[in-house]
Amino acid sequence: MIEGHLVDLVPFEDDFAIHLAAWMNEEAWFRTMIYDRREPHTENDVKKYIEKMEKNKRGALFGYQTKNGDPIGGVIYDYQGDRVWKADVMSFAGDTRYEGTDEQFDGLLMLIRYCFETRNLYRLEGAALAFDTVKIEQFQRAGFTHEGTLRQHIRWGGDYVAVEMFGLLHREWPGYDSMIEALGLQSSAIEPKPKPEKLEKKD
Amino acid sequence: MLKGLLVDLVPYGKAFLENDHEWENGIARFWSNLGECPIVSRAQVEARHQEWFESNESYLGVPFGVQTKDGIPLGYFGINWMVPHCRSVMVGAVINDPDYWGGGYGTDALLLLMDYAFDWLDMRKVWLGTMSLNERVMRQMEKVGFTLEVRQREAVYAAGEWHDSLLYGLLRDEWPGRAALIERFGLQARPE
Ligand SMILES: CC(C)(COP(=O)(O)OP(=O)(O)OC[C@H]1O[C@@H](n2cnc3c(N)ncnc32)[C@H](O)[C@@H]1OP(=O)(O)O)[C@@H](O)C(=O)NCCC(=O)NCCS
Repeated sequence: MIEGHLVDLVPFEDDFAIHLAAWMNEEAWFRTMIYDRREPHTENDVKKYIEKMEKNKRGALFGYQTKNGDPIGGVIYDYQGDRVWKADVMSFAGDTRYEGTDEQFDGLLMLIRYCFETRNLYRLEGAALAFDTVKIEQFQRAGFTHEGTLRQHIRWGGDYVAVEMFGLLHREWPGYDSMIEALGLQSSAIEPKPKPEKLEKKD
Repeated sequence: MLKGLLVDLVPYGKAFLENDHEWENGIARFWSNLGECPIVSRAQVEARHQEWFESNESYLGVPFGVQTKDGIPLGYFGINWMVPHCRSVMVGAVINDPDYWGGGYGTDALLLLMDYAFDWLDMRKVWLGTMSLNERVMRQMEKVGFTLEVRQREAVYAAGEWHDSLLYGLLRDEWPGRAALIERFGLQARPE
């Protein structure tokens, strides 16, 4: 676990794995995985995805949760280069009540912190669908520079939507502690959801 | 097989695979692989070929070999990544022997590939990436009508310095068609 200000980063397992079966079929997921074809994801797909990310040598999926342990969603870095130390960063609030909250934003900050302050990456890249104002504002608030627009890039609900591209260099990151101090994040005090029922164990 | 004026696009078969060891150790890779200077053995190249033959990854690439009209293999032109439901293709290109650069071969091949993407695969966007050091490609993109959509700062390290990564895109309704561009550029077959 890596402890943050409003959220902690934890392994993506247990309750997270159970929640993902629902999360992976929801809007927030497709807005994050912009090339996903909106195919239905079964429990088996979810399991395979988690396994794939656990074996991934160029990236990882972490869970992020509130201070009282309520799972919010996932943060991901992926496609880390071997010669140029850059990676794509993604985050989603599977529990949509957290969409746009400072908890969700802190999840992104914690991912950036991990990538720069632990993994010593040089550059991070983020992408957001043009209408995804929450993501765009979060990238900008985290200090990313808007580096351009992939025009009519993604098929979305009968239309072709642009993708806004963002980049952040290690030297532009003042450090997690300074960011927290400067930004004054507020807890949204959302009630933790009930624990999901454990999947039946078949022995 | 796609027939152009200076080049043809053909299967990336034996004639090309045989050259890969020399090509991959050559200078063209510095430009196509964004500053990389691979030093690879024959065995490594063969292992990569094997991986490629056996791969069942669904990235949906369409590789072509590019060769002169009299059949000299020059390199690779192809779709590296296709996203069918977005109707987009990302393309890549490399002519390995510098003696063949700047002679119009690349433009002829690119027009064939774009024609293939729009007129045969019914795509609506062609895009590609390069580095800000690669003026040859930047000029070519401008000439063919691509838009510079994204400039990723310091995303490329080449020859000891940071450079930007550039993403270019061209939409179908911006595509005048191969014939129109051949005429505009005055591309002509070489006399025998
Ligand atoms: C990129 C590449 C495929 C282009 O093919 P090519 O046959 O050299 O290109 P062309 O001769 O058709 O030239 C296209 C345009 O590039 C520009 N160009 C050509 N030579 C140039 C040079 N030395 N400097 C700057 N611009 C140049 C010109 O604008 C030219 O148009 P023109 O015919 O009006 O002069 C080829 O040069 C190559 O394989 N290079 C190495 C690998 C690489 O860079 N791959 C692309 C990675 S994105």
